[in-house]
Amino acid sequence: MRNTLILVGLLAACSLAALGQGYATQPADALVFPIGVEGTVYEDMELGVRGGTLHIPNIEDPRAWNNHTAHETSTTWFTYRMHRGLVNLDHISGAIVPDLAKGWEISEDGLVITFHLREGLKWSDGMPITADDVLFTYNDVVLNEDVDCNSRDGQILPDGTFPVCEKLDDYTVRFTLSTIYRPFLNSVGVGIMPKHKLAQYVHKLNPDVPAGTFNETWTLDMDLSELVGNGPWIVTDYAVNVSVTMERNPYYYGYDPAGTQLPYYDKIVNHIVANQDVSMLKFRNGEVDVYALRPEDIPILLPEGPAKRFQVMVTDLAGYGTTWICPNQDIGLGDGTDAEKRELYRNVEFREAIAHLLDKDTMVQNVLNGLGTAQWTGVSLPSPFYAGRDYYGGPTTESDAVWFEYDPALAASKLDALGVVDQDGDGWRDLPSGAPLTIEINTNDNTTRIAYCLIIQDDLRAAGLNAQFQVVDFNTLVNKLFAATGDIIQLGLTGGDEPNSGKNVYTSCGSLHAYRYSACEDPDEVDLRIDELMDLGANTFDLDEAFEYYKEYQILLAHQLGYIYLCQPTFLYAHYDYVGNAFKASPISTPGGNNGNLTELCFDKRL
Amino acid sequence: MLTYMVRRVLYMIPLLLIVSLIAFSLIKLMPGDYLTTARFNPQITAETLQQQIERFGLDKPFLVQYWYWLRNVVQGDFGTSFDTRMPVFTTLFFGNRLLWTILIATTTLILTWVLAIPIGIYSATHQYKPSDHVVTFFGFLGLSIPNFFFALVILWILVVIFRVGNYGLGVGGLVDSRFFDQPFSWAKFCNYLWHLWPIWVVIGTSGMAGLIRLMRGNLLDTLSLPYVQTARSKGLKESVVIYKHAVRNAINPLITVLGLSLPGLVNGSIVTAIVLNIPTVGRAYWSALQRQDEPVVMGGLLFFSLFLLIGNVIADFLLAWVDPRIRYD
Repeated sequence: MRNTLILVGLLAACSLAALGQGYATQPADALVFPIGVEGTVYEDMELGVRGGTLHIPNIEDPRAWNNHTAHETSTTWFTYRMHRGLVNLDHISGAIVPDLAKGWEISEDGLVITFHLREGLKWSDGMPITADDVLFTYNDVVLNEDVDCNSRDGQILPDGTFPVCEKLDDYTVRFTLSTIYRPFLNSVGVGIMPKHKLAQYVHKLNPDVPAGTFNETWTLDMDLSELVGNGPWIVTDYAVNVSVTMERNPYYYGYDPAGTQLPYYDKIVNHIVANQDVSMLKFRNGEVDVYALRPEDIPILLPEGPAKRFQVMVTDLAGYGTTWICPNQDIGLGDGTDAEKRELYRNVEFREAIAHLLDKDTMVQNVLNGLGTAQWTGVSLPSPFYAGRDYYGGPTTESDAVWFEYDPALAASKLDALGVVDQDGDGWRDLPSGAPLTIEINTNDNTTRIAYCLIIQDDLRAAGLNAQFQVVDFNTLVNKLFAATGDIIQLGLTGGDEPNSGKNVYTSCGSLHAYRYSACEDPDEVDLRIDELMDLGANTFDLDEAFEYYKEYQILLAHQLGYIYLCQPTFLYAHYDYVGNAFKASPISTPGGNNGNLTELCFDKRL
Repeated sequence: MLTYMVRRVLYMIPLLLIVSLIAFSLIKLMPGDYLTTARFNPQITAETLQQQIERFGLDKPFLVQYWYWLRNVVQGDFGTSFDTRMPVFTTLFFGNRLLWTILIATTTLILTWVLAIPIGIYSATHQYKPSDHVVTFFGFLGLSIPNFFFALVILWILVVIFRVGNYGLGVGGLVDSRFFDQPFSWAKFCNYLWHLWPIWVVIGTSGMAGLIRLMRGNLLDTLSLPYVQTARSKGLKESVVIYKHAVRNAINPLITVLGLSLPGLVNGSIVTAIVLNIPTVGRAYWSALQRQDEPVVMGGLLFFSLFLLIGNVIADFLLAWVDPRIRYD
């Protein structure tokens, strides 16, 4: 017993040593969340009390603890909570707001942006956070070719150069850009890393370590007491395949208006579970406090809620990302076949006919149990730049949306007008030359996608188009898409708040311009205007002006029908009544995944 | 016997080489690679992808890649995981995975054998009686229910029917979260047992049916042999006839099965481990396969093949040991 006590004491001492004691008083520059303050997006939230443990289910293990070499959300879920950047996306509105920096100024020519850091802040181990850490993160990690950094590509300016980062004093950094580039304000939000802990692993700063050492730093098997961060949480325990425990960072600079330091909870325990089924069982068993449900879970959870005291939140938020079908306008271009089909696919009238055959309402009803939103363009629905929102610019409404209503009769008349009619009496429409027209639809082994494809296949066949749906392996599918060897492919892309992140997809020479790669050499008027609008949207710091460019761009995309959009599921989650503020701030994830997690604002009402 | 064993061990080297070449070819034949998902990310440029391809050596011809891999393996370097950036075997075994795997597999193995052999004997000695049918029925049921489904059903019954949450008990995983930062205690030990029994039931029942059938069949064959009749006509007690004479001979083929279950100790029960949330080597290997994390897939495969070959050798050795008629010299 005595030994156990000593061991517990030692462990407690170690964890204190790793995490430091916290601020004596609230720093003057603290980041205050206006919880309960009228006129803000936080007005309907409550002030909380500190203490307790929040239990969250998580489907995958993290792959590392290194924010900058992480490539997927299973890792960034944790690293985002440990490392915050100069700016952040507002949890609720999606707008860019100050975080580690308390503010910034943009020079008149738009080329110099000066950030003022909050003063007196500390890392979780008690060391001061200064401009040196920002410089280290940009110049020695993000822009260092030796580091396999996931966020370097996001920093590239339109002319291929990178912003130049300089220190003016301990709390001021200056970025100089070669050209005006609004998305810089978004990409500048990368997590700032502690120089005093990590400089030793960067070959450029410490030639004693081999090149590439940083990539193998802060891997899962590290001594977790060495982890140092500036975000609300720090990982303190990892049981492989079982759980990740995060404890409050005693030096997190977020406070509520009453002067209580955030986060409210002492700990988050992430239960790593096999799949959604087990996740739901754990929620029903009271082992986890929150759960991101699927539409099919609603009939089970809704009746159970009142007795077990949990709420099922059916939000009106759709997820980020896009779901689409992509008729390959370059079909047969590589081997010189399918010339007539290619010509047909390139004809926007044909693509319009296809769009009129997509029954998005049925897709929402049958595939998403009625909990989804139809999509018409390439910018994610929750983005403040989505043309159907009125966050910037405006006034704009959904009336700007370009809908191709489900209308088989109109589709049939369009097909007839194109000469795509049944010429040999076999019941299937043929190409204008009389050659048979078969359309192959492919997607991968994903139940939702397969369900979409079956509906599409049925509707196309009902209109006399000989559509054949086939499931292929994901990698084969992606190869088909990139090699432009597919016919019609159904897939989706991840999205975000920043429309410029779609540049790779929608500009004529983008590497994901999979509906017509040949547009790079042979762009049409619409392609050229889209390219131009993308540049214009990025080339101004006036958000309302940028919105207008992006609005035109979204409308053009919708008319162009390169990718023909389907629908996005609504964001659903459930939480026990005792999790305060969870009604607004799903602590699991919001549609945005990383950017909207409000674990630091939730609290335990039972305390 | 010794020369035979040495020869068998030496045979393993070319065999492992062939296995590794086939495995490497199969990985390369699969469409796509580790970077396919990255290729589909709008935020990653073509230049960055190219750098990654070169960093991982994925741009080299197939045989060159294999040669590099082999050369490093011979020098004891199995490479670094593309995904976790940790050495291959750290990725597979890290976090007590190997320990848990062996612990769970051996306990399940012991439980399965301790139950299956007597049931098999009972079933053979009560051939075609109602009790034989009942035992056989449950044996087949265990064999035919998919493990992942059975595991989910158990969890569902615990949560929805028995409402174990009301008693503060969790499902899945190794131990309830309230014990995470607690020192080892009797209560914690019991909680571990509470989490382990579904694993024993799921994996155990799936392996038991086969063993029961095997034991039953072998014993029935043996019981019909003339020497058993001789023993009976000598007036020996039935229990002596069965346990001393018949079972000892009938159990021989099962020894081979025991040797061959060795590789199953480290790579078996992947799906059950995933559903019940248990850290096992098989689960780490499964993740690597899904992500096409080549170094881990190759390292793991070599490791599992080694176990399979060792299992074979042990089975041969055990057979020679229990059956005096078998000699390899």
